[in-house]
Amino acid sequence: MGSIRVGRAQARPDTPSHVPGIHQGNEGPYTTQRGHHRDGTADARRSTGIDWKQHDVLLDVMPNIPPA
Amino acid sequence: MTTEARQKGRKPAQIVDMSWDPITRIIGNLGIYTKIDFANKEVVECHSTSSLFRGYSVFMKGKDPRDAGFITSRICGICGDNHTTCSDYAQQMAYGVKPPPLAEHIVNLGEAAEYMFDHTIFQDNLVFVDFCEQMVKATNPTVLARAQKTNAPRGDIHGYRTIADIMKAFNPFEGEVYKEALKVSRTTREMFCLMEGRHVHPSTLYPGGVGTMPSPTAFTDYLSRLMHVIDFVKKAVAMNDDVFDFFYEALPGYEEVGKRRIMLGCWGAWQDPKVVDYKYENMNRWGKAMYVTPGIVVDGELVTNNLVDINLGLRIMLGSSFYEDWVNEDPFVTHDPLGNPVDMRHPWNQTTLPVPQKRDFEGNYSWVMSPRWYDQRTGDHLALDTGGGPLARLWSTALNGIVDTPYIKATGHSVRISLPKGASLPETTLEWKIPKWSNTLERDRARPYFVAYAAAMALQFLDEAMGLVRSGDTKVFEDFEVPDEAIGCGFHEAVRGVLSHHLVIKDKKIANYHPYPPTPWNASPRDKFGTPGPYEDAVMGQPIFEENGPDDFKGVDIMRTVRSFDPCLPCGVHMYTGKGKTLSVTHSPVYGASHG
Repeated sequence: MGSIRVGRAQARPDTPSHVPGIHQGNEGPYTTQRGHHRDGTADARRSTGIDWKQHDVLLDVMPNIPPA
Repeated sequence: MTTEARQKGRKPAQIVDMSWDPITRIIGNLGIYTKIDFANKEVVECHSTSSLFRGYSVFMKGKDPRDAGFITSRICGICGDNHTTCSDYAQQMAYGVKPPPLAEHIVNLGEAAEYMFDHTIFQDNLVFVDFCEQMVKATNPTVLARAQKTNAPRGDIHGYRTIADIMKAFNPFEGEVYKEALKVSRTTREMFCLMEGRHVHPSTLYPGGVGTMPSPTAFTDYLSRLMHVIDFVKKAVAMNDDVFDFFYEALPGYEEVGKRRIMLGCWGAWQDPKVVDYKYENMNRWGKAMYVTPGIVVDGELVTNNLVDINLGLRIMLGSSFYEDWVNEDPFVTHDPLGNPVDMRHPWNQTTLPVPQKRDFEGNYSWVMSPRWYDQRTGDHLALDTGGGPLARLWSTALNGIVDTPYIKATGHSVRISLPKGASLPETTLEWKIPKWSNTLERDRARPYFVAYAAAMALQFLDEAMGLVRSGDTKVFEDFEVPDEAIGCGFHEAVRGVLSHHLVIKDKKIANYHPYPPTPWNASPRDKFGTPGPYEDAVMGQPIFEENGPDDFKGVDIMRTVRSFDPCLPCGVHMYTGKGKTLSVTHSPVYGASHG
């Protein structure tokens, strides 16, 4: 730092950003909620609406995308 | 009045010191000190100075590298997101992570909205004050009289009959264009917030991706706002062309105002998600695939468009700045990942050693350093400017001739921009042609064209992003680990020009971090070779067209030149607040609080 006077370093970058055993937000609820896929894609069942588990597309030709 | 003609009929010099410190309508204590020869109507000497020190590169040391994007965003109050984006690019290189394609599109859309917002508010609400009816009446009454009699050639597009009518619409606080631009900049800011969460310090941009919820509604909301402003963009281009063409015509020789040798730098903007992998080794390939092609243009020729060459040629010089040299410090990076040697004056190796002192125009006079680009062909250290951003971006993209998208085509000598039909105007193709000069009016003219460019790119990013959403590919984040040791660099375009971030990580902490935004390039003082920085260079030797004498001199020609660079100094200077007082220290997450 040369001759410049600076304050004491306070950052602790080794602080864990994740504690084992606690759900990690980035992972996604692959096993508990239908509509979330492991490859990062999602379908119409990814919804917060009523009875979302049933709200999949009716036909293959329909766009299977989350409502919002 | 050309330079030679001016030299022939020279009168005995009548030199008056004129200074503007700080310059208004910009932020960051920029001072311009000139000597003006009123007998020959010419600026003979110019110094650009900054009295503000901030020291980001000093206090970034020892921080968590993942925080870099959030901290560096605070460098600027108008283009902070450009810093976050650039910092994320540098971190992605260091962590070896590539965000999913949808995340890239979201970042690109946010940046496109930022360019549209910032250029509009700067051009229409700040630059045009120098070209408005009131200002022209106070500085060049004969020009205003002529404008009242000159019909506007593109009046069918923008709806103003004479040039004076346009100038009247530019009047601050009451002119139509001034008020309309404020409304448009609200809409474009909303577009920005849809993608990056908050303006101007984004809350949803992270290394590895974004936190934006990629819902179909987010994109359609963006699209509806974009279509709402698209006619404004077409009108803005027509109005700017009319006014600037008129100035060339009404004041013969105005091309000399703010003219300097063509030395432009552009670091490229908007990554192509199909090509970019953020690996240094492939930087040449993915750099060229960017939707604004990087390049260094000297005397109208393209010197290089290789980001590796651009990176290795960066030199941070001292000479007139309040710093101690760092040559005796240890280098951080001796070789880049390709094995090329890295110079001690490169940002990767820089150490900021501030030495506050009195301003002395014969010695040191600014807190801004002097970034230069080392030209291997000639051995020169070039004082590149950014032309206020758009001029260099369009020039480099046009000369490269690589960009070929559904809405934009770079031809080698021009850039063609197609905009769809809007509410009142039909589908329009605009063509920005490479100008003859790098001067004040051309820097200003390029700005509305780049707003059109950003709008056209946004349309493409929307098409691609909505395609991904429709196919169910809504992944927007990729996990990564922070390595113990790594280096990274990010190249991007801040609104007013080149932006680079250089990062060195040691023990998972930042060992060195140097952001180099556009204004250190443009506002740099004389370097150790005596080469003046772009503001100084552009103002020195420029003719004065103002009709006022020394007593009521407003300096509008000089102000037009300095403002044509879109000056913004907070990023230009590298805070010392004495002992300081700690208010609170927090560290997230709460579950990790017991650690250490």
